[in-house]
Amino acid sequence: MKGYGIFNRTVKDLGLRRIFGNPGSTEIPMLRGTSDYVLTLHDSISVGMADGYSQYSGRPSLVNLHTLPGVANSMAFIHTARMNRAPVIITSGQQDSRHAFYEPLLWHDLKSLVGSAVKYSYEVKNPEDIERALKRAYAISLSPPSGPVFLSFPMEVMDQEGEYMGLDYSTPNLQILNSGEVERISELIGRAKNPAFVAGSELDQYGGIRELEELASHLGVPVFSEPLSSRATFNSSSDNFAGELPPASTAINMALLQYDLIVNFGGEFTLYPYLPSPLLPGKKIVSVGMSPSYKHGDCVFSNPKLFLNALLLKANGKWSFRKQEDQGNAGLIAREKKVMGVNYVLQRARKHFSGYTIVDEAISSSLLVRKNMGYSQKSYFTARSGQLGWGLPAAAGISMLRDKVLEIVGDGSLMYTIQTLWTISKYNLPVKILVLNNEGYTILKSFSSSFYPGVENSEFLSFSYNIVDVAKSLGIESRVADPELKEMDWLAQGSEAKLLVANVPKTVPRLFI
Amino acid sequence: MPPFFPTSEVNATLSQILPEAEITTSTDFEMNASEVLVATTFTKVDEALISKMPNLKFVQIASTGYDNVDTDSLRKRNIKLANIPTANKESVAEHVITMALAQLKNLLYFHNEIVNGNWPFLTNSSELMGKTFGIIGMGAIGKRLAERLLYFGTNTIYYDPARITDEEEENLGVSYAPMDELLRKSDIISLHVPLTKETDRFMGEKEFGLMKDGSIFINTARGEVVNEAALINAIKSKGIRACIDVYANEPPDPTGELFKVPNVLFSPHVAGVTVESQQRFITDTISNVLKYVQGLDPSYQVL
Ligand SMILES: Cc1ncc(C[n+]2csc(CCOP(=O)(O)OP(=O)(O)O)c2C)c(N)n1
Repeated sequence: MKGYGIFNRTVKDLGLRRIFGNPGSTEIPMLRGTSDYVLTLHDSISVGMADGYSQYSGRPSLVNLHTLPGVANSMAFIHTARMNRAPVIITSGQQDSRHAFYEPLLWHDLKSLVGSAVKYSYEVKNPEDIERALKRAYAISLSPPSGPVFLSFPMEVMDQEGEYMGLDYSTPNLQILNSGEVERISELIGRAKNPAFVAGSELDQYGGIRELEELASHLGVPVFSEPLSSRATFNSSSDNFAGELPPASTAINMALLQYDLIVNFGGEFTLYPYLPSPLLPGKKIVSVGMSPSYKHGDCVFSNPKLFLNALLLKANGKWSFRKQEDQGNAGLIAREKKVMGVNYVLQRARKHFSGYTIVDEAISSSLLVRKNMGYSQKSYFTARSGQLGWGLPAAAGISMLRDKVLEIVGDGSLMYTIQTLWTISKYNLPVKILVLNNEGYTILKSFSSSFYPGVENSEFLSFSYNIVDVAKSLGIESRVADPELKEMDWLAQGSEAKLLVANVPKTVPRLFI
Repeated sequence: MPPFFPTSEVNATLSQILPEAEITTSTDFEMNASEVLVATTFTKVDEALISKMPNLKFVQIASTGYDNVDTDSLRKRNIKLANIPTANKESVAEHVITMALAQLKNLLYFHNEIVNGNWPFLTNSSELMGKTFGIIGMGAIGKRLAERLLYFGTNTIYYDPARITDEEEENLGVSYAPMDELLRKSDIISLHVPLTKETDRFMGEKEFGLMKDGSIFINTARGEVVNEAALINAIKSKGIRACIDVYANEPPDPTGELFKVPNVLFSPHVAGVTVESQQRFITDTISNVLKYVQGLDPSYQVL
């Protein structure tokens, strides 16, 4: 069997049916015999789609990029997949190694290019490598912390003779309970004056949201969400939900001021911007999860769901946290209706899109997206890396697995990977897209006015373009919302992809200090 | 420090913000090595204090007014000074609207009648909706007032030597009028100017003379921007209804004539003071000190 045959066979056996990619000459040899290829019109979009697909399914996905240019074009997305812990297997063709010495067109040392953005990288040397490298990459992508891996395939290997061996491979067992620590942590909680829990993305990834809800309600302890999570961390409508921690040291310290013990289940304290306060000085912090960062002292390696189940049987204590009753916001919505305010738009979206998975790249409005739309298991995704252009491809990737996906995106972010609309249209993906158009980079204006006043008025932070025409030209039905938002109805109807632009105010919210 | 002041709680909070910071409740120390001084308007930041703080580089006043600071002494030593000018705009805006409504709805009169055992049958109360509301001074407070008035349906006009942009005018629903025109057209006038050489007693005989009979005049800015005799005259001769929060001397002489003329509503320089505005002063003060500590220019720098 030739190299490309082994490639195809291995991919099939691993259940990696689809290939997300954008091809070049160096990939043509390996793509012979490929049937389920999803074409994206920019390399990076493949990685973004695979990222969404993998996060939603919890399974590895396969990407094929065009050697140096394709991989280089996708670097930010590969890094994002790493931050999102998305098990994406990235493959690329590579120049024929028999003349690599001459550094031919398109050649580059790809392993050094992907560098630390992936968990594992390898360039195959012969046909035997193909099967074993793919199987190894598959397993590594899933081992905690899950994340992207990279394999490079020199062209000539694809035509060398080898054999498909049907090698054994394993996927990591994620059902690991660190039972020895349950007693200790439950005692810590029992002895605390005032404990708080932090919920992180691992609870959505490995399970445990329901269990944490039960534990928190049993003990009367508040649950904060980790700052800037890549996905849902908890059930935001729970009575024990205390809101989201802000991503800056002073603000985190203030939110957790009254608590002496902080137990973090599968989360991180992601920070930006810098503030001079040290993070949580003098607090006892315990982190429980499949990949604790070891940045804060006491860490317990365990599947969070299993650990929470065990804690539920042991933990004792009685505190009295209950979130404040929702006072409603009809007045705010009525005022915002006059100016097509973001809360008004999102409240309407909430009515039409309940039960949808939200993919959020609304940037200056992201906080409002989470507040208005709420979240629970697998219902919310965003990029943890701060990179723009991820949302639309990720939404497209998720929409291959379920037909209720709403992408909420800023007019700035939309433009980084606008070609995704072509892929959505070509493969009939059921993505609904809501664009919050504030004609510029509002979050950068807000940042400027907080830290570098004056810059917010710079011309380079504002722009506008005809979003509807651009979307139509790429094959997506598209409209601008009228003040009554009747089009929200239109957007929700049918399963075909549609895009709605809401022209929201250009006022700059205060998001930083 | 008053006994109710929660010093230990404040210290606990402070230790989570900047562990090296400390709170001092009196200024009669010998020497202090601090680089940053945070004070309210009630602490005199004068030569005597500054000379005891040789490392001082930045003074943050946790309020709008900073007349307690000897700016010359700071300037001499190249010490930065900042205040917090925006934290009370909400409370002032609400106070102004409260006063205007109290006048329009004759609340004082009704209250006194009922307390005195009478039951008034007739009223000439009127609505804020549809009135022309003149704002003199379109800074942070003037703008917030205009924003709030939008929902009352007033016709809002403003005067400021520095006109705001067309876009801002459109968003706030206000139009510009020269001072004389504003005085002539408005049913209600509210002052939002700082006290400077130009504004010192700038509301005088001529200005009050231009105002409509029976119109409402509100001062939550500074007592000194109004010529009090001219105001009293206007109250007597034109039935101007006044709302006064600020006085040239505070507290004012209670036997003064201003307190004897009819239809005047008083408050004791509290338009900007609410529980919420004090909280904002604290938050903004902390933000500004953090900015300084991380090496950025603090906001609202006055020196
Ligand atoms: C790939 C990439 N380029 C640039 C940036 C810098 N950046 C961060 S936020 C932002 C503006 C986002 O604008 P938009 O999506 O319209 O959201 P808004 O802030 O207006 O709500 C930019 C340009 C980035 N994070 N990633």
